[in-house]
Amino acid sequence: MFDDPRNYLWLIPVLPLLAGVVTALAGPRWLRNQSHWPCIIAAGCSCVLSFFVLNAVADGFYNAKEYYTWFEAGNVSIGFTLGADGLTAVMLVTVTLVGSLIAIYSIGYMHHDPGYARYFAEISLFLFSMTGLVLAENFIVLYAFWEGVGLCSYLLIGYYFTRPSAAAAARKAFLVTRLGDIGLLIGILLLWSNCDHLLDFQNVFEIAPTFEPTLRMVICLLLFSGAVGKSAQFPLHVWLPDAMEGPSPVSALIHAATMVTAGVYLVARCTPLFGVTPGAQLVVASIGGFTAFLAALIALTQTDLKRVLAYSTISQLGYMFLALGSGTRNEGHLLAGLAVTAAIFHLFTHAFFKALLFLSAGSVMHAMGNVIDMRRFSGLRHVLKKTHWLFLCGAGALSGFPVIFSGFWSKDEILADALEAGSPGSFGSFVYLFLFCLGMLTAGLTAFYTFRAYFLTFWGEVRVPGEAGEHAHDSPLVMIAPMAILALGAVALGLIFGPTGIFNHFLETYWMKKSFEHLLPEVEKHHHNLLVMTASGVLALAGIGLAWWMYVRKPAAAKELAQTLPRLYALSRNKFYLDDIYGAFVRLLAGFAQVLRVIDLYIVDGVIDLLAQVPRWLGMLARPVQNGLVQFYALLMMLGLAGFLLSVLMR
Amino acid sequence: MSLVTLHNYLAVAAILFALGAVGFLARRNLIIMFLSAEMMLQGVALNLVAFARYRGNLQGQAFTLFILTVAACEAAIALALILMLFRRRKSLDVSLWQDLREPDLEPIVDEEPLPAPPEPEVLPHLTPAGREPDHPREETSHV
Repeated sequence: MFDDPRNYLWLIPVLPLLAGVVTALAGPRWLRNQSHWPCIIAAGCSCVLSFFVLNAVADGFYNAKEYYTWFEAGNVSIGFTLGADGLTAVMLVTVTLVGSLIAIYSIGYMHHDPGYARYFAEISLFLFSMTGLVLAENFIVLYAFWEGVGLCSYLLIGYYFTRPSAAAAARKAFLVTRLGDIGLLIGILLLWSNCDHLLDFQNVFEIAPTFEPTLRMVICLLLFSGAVGKSAQFPLHVWLPDAMEGPSPVSALIHAATMVTAGVYLVARCTPLFGVTPGAQLVVASIGGFTAFLAALIALTQTDLKRVLAYSTISQLGYMFLALGSGTRNEGHLLAGLAVTAAIFHLFTHAFFKALLFLSAGSVMHAMGNVIDMRRFSGLRHVLKKTHWLFLCGAGALSGFPVIFSGFWSKDEILADALEAGSPGSFGSFVYLFLFCLGMLTAGLTAFYTFRAYFLTFWGEVRVPGEAGEHAHDSPLVMIAPMAILALGAVALGLIFGPTGIFNHFLETYWMKKSFEHLLPEVEKHHHNLLVMTASGVLALAGIGLAWWMYVRKPAAAKELAQTLPRLYALSRNKFYLDDIYGAFVRLLAGFAQVLRVIDLYIVDGVIDLLAQVPRWLGMLARPVQNGLVQFYALLMMLGLAGFLLSVLMR
Repeated sequence: MSLVTLHNYLAVAAILFALGAVGFLARRNLIIMFLSAEMMLQGVALNLVAFARYRGNLQGQAFTLFILTVAACEAAIALALILMLFRRRKSLDVSLWQDLREPDLEPIVDEEPLPAPPEPEVLPHLTPAGREPDHPREETSHV
């Protein structure tokens, strides 16, 4: 059974689905506080199978199989076709490994929660959708799972649905991502009508690169708009910070490690299309770079620990898009392959260290009695010793602390690619050069705000909010152990894959060479740029040092700076007023909708009601016939019969 | 059976049917209406028998047997219904039952009222043959 991955590929999404169904049906009544078992067993099995798939892919397996025909009409046939190549295998391992660890962590975190069973049912459902999303070999199936993860995200953000803010955040997340999804759907429909009504990846990527440039550009941008919504890029990034209303493990799993990277996955998957459309790539890179910078600026002044992490997620996703967009034509050969591997490598490492950071934040929240405002606690390194070290690992990786941590290696590849795309003579080189500078600046900012959060939380005098109770204690082993594994990943992955280039080589050999060899450079290049590495390393250290100086050495300095630059401070503090601008826009639309409502209620409905009166009036004429007298009815019957007979006889 | 004889039978059947119809439409007593309906049925049955005889086969006869059976069942149900209706209103007048008319219509009231029901016959009061003995009531009651 294990020789051919096609035999067990379908189990990877189906096991979590089964677990979800079992938990949903049996959880609240019978399993109760044992409800985590189905989810964890299924996630664990999927994880093992994913490693099998990875192994099979490394043995050269690259094949898709249609397991079930979803619907068929004429020559259109959409089936649940699942397939695995290098990219899918990497995504699968990331999703199931991080998912399993987070599910184990949730046992401790969600302990004694009244919705325990519901939580694990929804997590299982999410794992089903996410693994399905990366396994799909067909745009329609991908779209179905894409909406599936959106739904799970909605359910889990609104997990504490009795809290109005959580319900509102869930709604916001769903509606804002929906804006992008509409673009994605239109893009898929355009592909459908132009690709002989066959939406299998293989077919699309054979035909689509030959479209005329305008159409290609439009399709690319529409697909990218879906990614913008799902991966929280400017201008649709506003939902992600609010999504922190959900439980912390959810933030770690969905809003840091996996679901938000679905957009990156989509664009990476469509490399054959984007790779030949430099205009679209420029847009992708610009939006990514700009978002990275904007989110970093906002993160500088946030006081909610989880929100800082949320903005850092947006910022890191921005980096990934910057990389995806940097694979442009340069001196005759294409960089697409290099840039995309850099993006996926960053996605991979980011999943580990950002999940770790969110879990650590959850651990802090757990100990502090659900308080997450950094102004209300400090000096926690004496209280939460283990959490402190684990958070430090994550923070080091996120800030790109040189050499040791994984974030450094993956981020540098991205910056190196951006710089290469910006080398003179290539398409849009000035823009790429600018984006490179922005990325460098963001690297410094990232280090600063990450360690600002770290120092504010873990250094200074020991202060614990009243909600924490008398004895704030570190989290139990069931929470610490998964975090430790993630921390190991956050450190070791960079050291293993960074300098050696195994990861990039794997993706190039088992994914790109099979699906778009023509987009790869003729000469295999190892793209570590020592200059960039040094510069970004220095910037990261400078950011960390500045944070240390401002928040440990001279705690008054931060306030003084805020007072000297009140405008800038307020701008960042209030997230550049983007939420307010959107709010005003939405209120404007709501007013318009109110006008339409009146028109609908009194004009459209009025006409319809008037029309509906006509049969009523006609009915009034016939009503006296119903007088309830049985003999009258009999008489009518006989007269009718007589009339009928007469008409038959007279004919 | 000749055509002329058939005509005679058909004429009798038609007369029976017409009598039944008129009775059903014109009478207000529920039982009389029911009997009229039966009469219509018999008119039809007579038709069938006559045609069966004329055609020389048994189809009409078989049909008539069915009609008789159904009529018997119908009688059972109809009489039960009439009994229940009588219990409700203490009368067999069909015009008392107009409840299923449209809500805003007035009930139809006959211009010519029904003849008053006959006075209950007063039975002659007979003097008792003997005299009841005086005895205290309480003692005889055994509760």
